[in-house]
Amino acid sequence: MIASEASKVVGRVSAGLLGSYAFTWGFSALGIAGLVALGVDFHEAETGVLLLALLVFLGVFLWAFAAASLARVWLVLAGGGALMTAAAWALQRAVLG
Amino acid sequence: MFSSFRLCMSWLHTWFGLVLGFVLMVAFFFGSLSVFDREIDRWAMPQTRFAPQPMPSFDRMLLPILKQVQPDEQDYAANMAALHDAAKGPMTPRLELPVEEYWAYTTHRDPVLIMGVGFGVPQPKDPAAHNHIHGSVTIDPRSGELLRDDQLKIGTGFFYPMHYSLHLTWRDLGIWIVGLAALTMLAALVSGVIIHRRIWREFFTFRPWKRTQRSALDLHNLTGVVALPFHFFFSFTGLAIFAGHFYLPVASTLLKPMHERHEVLEAQRTGLPHERAGVAAPLASVDAMVLEAKRRWAARDMAGEVGFLQIHHVGDANGYVSIYRAGSDRVALVGEGIHFKASTGALLREDPPRTVVSQINEFLTGLHLQHFEHWLLRWLYVLGGLLGCVCIATGFIFFVEKRKKQHAAAGSQGSRVVDALAVTTVTGMVIAAVAMLVANRLLPAELAGKGDWEQAAFWGAWVLALLHAAWRSAPVARSRINPAWREQCWAIAGLAVAAVLLNWVTTGDHLIGTVFTDTYWPVAGLDLSLLASAALALVAARRLAWRERCAEAVGAQTQAPADAADDRLPVTARLTHHG
Repeated sequence: MIASEASKVVGRVSAGLLGSYAFTWGFSALGIAGLVALGVDFHEAETGVLLLALLVFLGVFLWAFAAASLARVWLVLAGGGALMTAAAWALQRAVLG
Repeated sequence: MFSSFRLCMSWLHTWFGLVLGFVLMVAFFFGSLSVFDREIDRWAMPQTRFAPQPMPSFDRMLLPILKQVQPDEQDYAANMAALHDAAKGPMTPRLELPVEEYWAYTTHRDPVLIMGVGFGVPQPKDPAAHNHIHGSVTIDPRSGELLRDDQLKIGTGFFYPMHYSLHLTWRDLGIWIVGLAALTMLAALVSGVIIHRRIWREFFTFRPWKRTQRSALDLHNLTGVVALPFHFFFSFTGLAIFAGHFYLPVASTLLKPMHERHEVLEAQRTGLPHERAGVAAPLASVDAMVLEAKRRWAARDMAGEVGFLQIHHVGDANGYVSIYRAGSDRVALVGEGIHFKASTGALLREDPPRTVVSQINEFLTGLHLQHFEHWLLRWLYVLGGLLGCVCIATGFIFFVEKRKKQHAAAGSQGSRVVDALAVTTVTGMVIAAVAMLVANRLLPAELAGKGDWEQAAFWGAWVLALLHAAWRSAPVARSRINPAWREQCWAIAGLAVAAVLLNWVTTGDHLIGTVFTDTYWPVAGLDLSLLASAALALVAARRLAWRERCAEAVGAQTQAPADAADDRLPVTARLTHHG
């Protein structure tokens, strides 16, 4: 019982920190690459997106604890982070052509 | 895991707040001190107690000194092997590294001038990276005399880096820990608001006569709510300052190709060369370029001093000089850059007005770093930072008070350990900082490696405070007060008064002089702050002594349930105390 409580806490905390980080990383990469693809200056895009990314991190961090299903949290955060990172990478290749 | 949203937020607030609270306390306290980092430098380096100076002549004073600067031994030892590509040949010896760039930086609060050289790495692993080994010096701009480099600038060189890096430089670990703490602060503010809901009432609720648990919570809520925008803003902008370089380095990793292309296009667009030409060229008069830059600022109706000066690609035909205006009169740091061709002094480019996004960013980060001239606001920053400290410290006390009876009954040591750590991070941290100032005045000025000894005094005093807090912590396990709180308050008072007296004895600067006859606020301000801290520590020590006596009286007097006694006692004790 205690062990399962502890593992739940570890699960939530790692989702809250690592999962949120992965998601925020993907958001930042895709946001910057997307804005640059739309013609925005690189540093403009970087500055603006990173300011937003900090708030995104805060939001998903809180959500990771509040959400009912830990599996769904991991799916959204890690899955979403990986998808957005991949999309950013593909977009960069397309832009640099 | 949690039965309700509020319970979940409460768990998050309690446990993240507790674990990262110790780090937050350091960030808030040393952040508050860093508001006056340069003034603390003046106190700790008596030979630099003179008025701030404008940037001196580059051609006559700075250039001859810059030519003598050598690559820093520690920087070379730590980074050269990682930057150099061993496949291309042997590593260039330290003293043979080519000069790549020169820089000099000053603000309206700097009597001394810092400047330095970026040395290139001839055979780098990654030619696109920032391949520099650095060397820097501090000079007295009135004479050009060098300041000894084993002399520690306690404000800018120790308290300020403590604020954002904890001096844990290995893989920037400290910066990451402080970043996590800042995120925790944001989450704690949001979750704190959700837990309490009655925000408006918290503004006016402080009941010091209630038992400690209740009054600690009142003060925790009050300081959290009153300064909520301040706490949120500083945690957020602190993260924003480091986001691009440390926390989310997307531009230098995943999107590096995109970033590189931008840099090359940018260099073409602005006419400021990205690379060296490989052709040697002389350096024209930089003083003439400074005059021209000042003339152009004045023509734009923003006359000002030079804040930052940088020469890129030194000695090369592609070299250029960038001159930035000091940010004394606005929030953003330095700006309005004007760039000249180094070999001829011809104007290359005048930076256009900022875009909206970078204006917002510069406003946010500039408001955090506060290099502008506004003394009232600086003091409000100190007040806000200290309110943050009170908020975190009362959080610790509430945590302990809420649990210590239960823990005492169950024989658990949990609240005892937390309380001892709280003593260490609240009073112990102040002791460490003041002990460092005392050591600074006690150690002879000519002592070799004086700065290292001062740092040893800081860490030594802090470790002693930890040991003392742990040694005296047994009463907490019996639901009493740890006497270390009171004893360390006495230590703060004694050390703070000693620091002021030692400053007088060793430099002759006493408060009557620094305030009235020969006014020098940087030193007077720190002396007065030390005395105010001593007075506050004395009041705290006396009140703690009274609380301890009350708790003992109850223990001896009645066998009544501790809870009821605790509720009744402070009221009666208050009457006798004030009567």
